[in-house]
Amino acid sequence: MENLLKVKQLKKYFDTPGGTLHAVDDINFSLAAGETLGVVGESGCGKSTLGRVVLHLLESTSGQIWFEGKDITHVSRSELRELRKKMQIIFQDPYASVDPRMTISAVIDEPLRNNGMKSRSEREEKVAELMELIGLAKRFTDYYPHELDGGRRQRAVIARALATNPRFIVCDEPVSALDVSIQAQVINLIMELQEKLRLTYMFISHDLSVVKYVSTHIMVMYLGQTVEYAETGDLFAHPVHPYTQALLSAVPIPKLGAQKQRILLKGEITSPIDPKPGCRFAPRCPRACEQCHQEIPALREVADGHMVACHMV
Amino acid sequence: MSEKETLIEVKDLTVHYVLHSGTSEAVNHISLAMKKGETLGLVGETGAGKTTVALSIMGLLPVPPAQVKSGEIIFEGQDILKLSEKEKKKIRGNKISMIFQDPMTALNPIDRVGDQIAEGIMLHQSVSRKEAMQKACDIMEMVGIPAVRYSEYPHQFSGGMKQRIVIAMALVCNPELLIADEPTTALDVTIQAQVLDMINQLKKKLGTSILLITHDFGVVAEMCERVAVIYAGEIVEAGTLEQIFEFTSHPYTQGLFQSLPSLEDSKAKLIPIPGMMPDPADLPEGCKFADRCPVCEERCRKTLPPLAEMEPEHLVRCFRPLKAK
Repeated sequence: MENLLKVKQLKKYFDTPGGTLHAVDDINFSLAAGETLGVVGESGCGKSTLGRVVLHLLESTSGQIWFEGKDITHVSRSELRELRKKMQIIFQDPYASVDPRMTISAVIDEPLRNNGMKSRSEREEKVAELMELIGLAKRFTDYYPHELDGGRRQRAVIARALATNPRFIVCDEPVSALDVSIQAQVINLIMELQEKLRLTYMFISHDLSVVKYVSTHIMVMYLGQTVEYAETGDLFAHPVHPYTQALLSAVPIPKLGAQKQRILLKGEITSPIDPKPGCRFAPRCPRACEQCHQEIPALREVADGHMVACHMV
Repeated sequence: MSEKETLIEVKDLTVHYVLHSGTSEAVNHISLAMKKGETLGLVGETGAGKTTVALSIMGLLPVPPAQVKSGEIIFEGQDILKLSEKEKKKIRGNKISMIFQDPMTALNPIDRVGDQIAEGIMLHQSVSRKEAMQKACDIMEMVGIPAVRYSEYPHQFSGGMKQRIVIAMALVCNPELLIADEPTTALDVTIQAQVLDMINQLKKKLGTSILLITHDFGVVAEMCERVAVIYAGEIVEAGTLEQIFEFTSHPYTQGLFQSLPSLEDSKAKLIPIPGMMPDPADLPEGCKFADRCPVCEERCRKTLPPLAEMEPEHLVRCFRPLKAK
């Protein structure tokens, strides 16, 4: 299949008073149209920064990004404007990502107006069409965001993201702020839309069961780097990296007697500021050896399409 | 096994928040009993009334706007709701203590963490400052924080460490009951695993009863012996862990289970619960879940089903329960 998005040796460093923060450090992946890449990892691992760099919401420090076969690493403002129509984002908190003084129809209308749809009636028609698509009843047209619950507000945010007919959407923790019963509604909506509109997603989440449900491929990140990448079924059936194994074993299972042997990690995520040489996971790794503390392990293929960065496998 | 002693009993508790814009009926006729040494999970979604129940037990309800309309909370032979503020203070933090979801807001940012732990000891026990500091050091070691960090400030600790300090503060007077309100929701999974493991070990060591408030059935399966599911201010189902997980009887409880993506079974489709929880300021007559219920019938909308016993300990508020043992 043709790659819609390809990222090569992508890096994003931030200068902080304490040193250089390696938020995204040498990430490579490609994503075919219609697929979903799930990005998982703990807070501070750089998954949101990665999403933002791909969308040019943050400028990359180095590396390359291709979209629809074109190098988009460096683009002009006008090119970026065209690009933004095709690449969109849905944020975690639907309370913070809409202007509280705009009605729902205005929220969805804004991207249409900004992208040159001049005729008012045409826009109104499109807003109604979008609201129907994401399952928001007509009566909410003139509501303000605070009058809607979290689930409906997130639907409005999704409608806004879809307004410019994008091909690629970064979903950054889109359901984390929602209650379980509402969460399931929004997940199903996101998946239905993918099928209907043939969307490609990068789905960022810390919730492994949600990521497993929506993704075709999964990338596990630790301190700015990929530690494991595989097809979803493969990753969950045969996790290879010690971090992935610990992460999977840490998830509480809502079933009686389902608790498997848990790998309890010692300590916490170390600082991404001026990281020490060697594997970033080594200080917490139950299997770390001398070599792990000195050399960064390269990401290599251990089985068909299954990549792992670890000296010990 | 012999019947364990009852530690605390909430009877027919009703709490409303009376505001200019209307009355929010947060908790309606909730009854709960906890035995010594057990962990009870209180499960429900945002706005179901879980935290209001916890605050009532702690005597921390914001009055006004909160008003206790009915009920009593019996702890050690007396009704907590009738105690004076002075008497409540003797219990709070001493015999009953609470940990909150966000460890950052539960700590004083400009006070040393060790002193914050010692404060509780000095308040409730007649010990010298030196003894209190020693006790604080001991409990810090117990929750896995080196005592040498006594003089550090909250911002010098990570989220997981801060939550350990909050837990140390709550446990330092060896309470009979610990109320844990979403204690690990703000933490990463690997850290959550560490903290849950620690709470379980401390419980074994100290024999503390825990009222665990959560929305996560995974955490419940791991920590609790009994579960109460709460919806729109009412208990809709209660029972042992086995009864709730294996013999799920209320359509809402079942709906919650079906809304969870599974790590084990990738084929299972998510079945969301349609609609959303009714506004507590405008509750429907009859069953509160009727509007979203797949098996709802005429009488459900008119009459509130009683919380009926399906079998010993398994209570269900439904005219058409799904299955029984």
